[in-house]
Amino acid sequence: MKHLISLIVLFLAGIQLAHAASGRIFVTNERSNDISVIDGSTLEVERTIEVGDRPRGIGISPDGKELYIAVSEENVIAAIDLETLELLRKFKAGSDPETFAVHPNGNIYISNEDDAKASVFDPRTGEQLAEIQVGLEPEGVAISPDGKQVIVTSESTNMLHVIQVPEHTIAANILVGARPRAATFTRDSKIAYSTSEISGEVKKVDMTTYEIIAVRKIADEKAKPKDVILNKDETKLYVAGGRANQVIVMDADKMEVIKGIPVGKRVWGLAMTKDGSKVFSTDGVSGTVSVIDTAKDEVIKTIEVGKFPWGVVVDD
Amino acid sequence: MKTIIYRITALIFLASATAGVADITETSFAFIGDTDSSAYRGIAQGIHEANLQGQFLGQSYSLQEFSGDDLDIIDPDRFIAIIVATDANDLVQAGARFSDHAIFNVSVHDDALREACAPNLLHVIPSARMLADAEAQWLQKNPDAEITVSGWHPQFMKFAARDLNKRYKKRASEPMDQYAWAGWAAVKMASDSVARQNITEPGAMLEFLKTGLAFDGQKGLDMDFRDTGQLRQLLLIVDSGGELLGEAPVRGVVATDDVDSLGLASCYN
Repeated sequence: MKHLISLIVLFLAGIQLAHAASGRIFVTNERSNDISVIDGSTLEVERTIEVGDRPRGIGISPDGKELYIAVSEENVIAAIDLETLELLRKFKAGSDPETFAVHPNGNIYISNEDDAKASVFDPRTGEQLAEIQVGLEPEGVAISPDGKQVIVTSESTNMLHVIQVPEHTIAANILVGARPRAATFTRDSKIAYSTSEISGEVKKVDMTTYEIIAVRKIADEKAKPKDVILNKDETKLYVAGGRANQVIVMDADKMEVIKGIPVGKRVWGLAMTKDGSKVFSTDGVSGTVSVIDTAKDEVIKTIEVGKFPWGVVVDD
Repeated sequence: MKTIIYRITALIFLASATAGVADITETSFAFIGDTDSSAYRGIAQGIHEANLQGQFLGQSYSLQEFSGDDLDIIDPDRFIAIIVATDANDLVQAGARFSDHAIFNVSVHDDALREACAPNLLHVIPSARMLADAEAQWLQKNPDAEITVSGWHPQFMKFAARDLNKRYKKRASEPMDQYAWAGWAAVKMASDSVARQNITEPGAMLEFLKTGLAFDGQKGLDMDFRDTGQLRQLLLIVDSGGELLGEAPVRGVVATDDVDSLGLASCYN
């Protein structure tokens, strides 16, 4: 009997775990001031949630319970319950919060574009924990999987600022191509890839020596690279190509362009499912999300969302 | 006198103390013009931003002010480049006197200066002919429009112009006009070259600006100079009420990336 109860408990726990991640895709729509909620299996928009003026950055808490949205014009981050999709709270997040990343410890690292600062918030209390001076127009934020380093890109100072955690001191300032936008780490936290919008480059940086070890300029002049992510086995990079209207696939080792996948206009944000099978791109001007099958590197579906979709995350 | 000596000693001490911490590269610009002008405030914004970047790289930037009558007393060895915001005559004089230096023109629209194709004059501000060509392109599409044309506008948003407009307004307490932008841009392109190319000599700076520049001026991508010394750039169309209407090269009249449709494109045309 005892065993049976234990089994039932385990079974129920298992169900709860399975329910914790909905498989939904969440998209911030910068101009329609809402979030599109896409069903992960049907790939249809199941709901739209109003969230406030100019939602941009988007992320999920490490425990998978809360969705965070930077509501730029209101200078707040909104926390939404991922199960009920109800707004839980909003907290002040400095001037013009744009892009952020969630640390494995649950804290939020955010770039405050107007203030040449990065700030750290505890989203559970809304308390500001730290403020770090960086270059002008800080934009992209990336956190190493081991939680020890945070990269903040400064678009006008053209640097990757490497912030050490928990000290919150700057370990390095790496000068890169004009208008660095985004960065991503390998799983072992040793390598970072970063995009520069105006120089049209993708850079590979050794995060133990802070040296740039490879640079690739994307030949298409219209390609103004923005978001960047690695595929699951870390052999390929997916780069949002901006006005090239393509997601550019690169060999992560040789840094050569393998393919350009045509998507909607002004492709900006990217996200991947945990199993690595699909990549989602926000196509700003088209008002769509493109779904890419990573086995074939082809678009398998285009989903109409709100106006100027900006950021995207997958709850899985 | 005692005070002065004391101050000098203190300065030397400070300088050596800083040098002891890290090797700081000092870069200085000479400014010729009125310090109560938007061009000057734009330059000051540029110096401020260059120092923000420089603090991460061990570089520091400064500015020394002169009037048009001071040309004789400027020691060129102290400056990486010279920024002029007075008149065509001062530009020509400065160009001839400081022939190794880049001389930035941030306020004079005079076409003859561009036609002269001087080897070291760099015109960041648009020429009169560029402004006229932009106006003509707009009027071709909208014959009855009452417009003016400018190099910059406080409502311009694209290419992160929105951010620059906000930064300038916050610091200078006035909207950024085209002379302020030109002043900011002159310092920014020179300080970017110091940061990226480790340029410390005026001659190397001039050479790089003329041949290697791909400048992010927050009003376009990869901006550079024509052989006339004129900075290639888009221009902004403004209505009679001062509101931003659009851009030149004007879509539907010429290709939108054909910035050489504005003004004298080359010395050899």
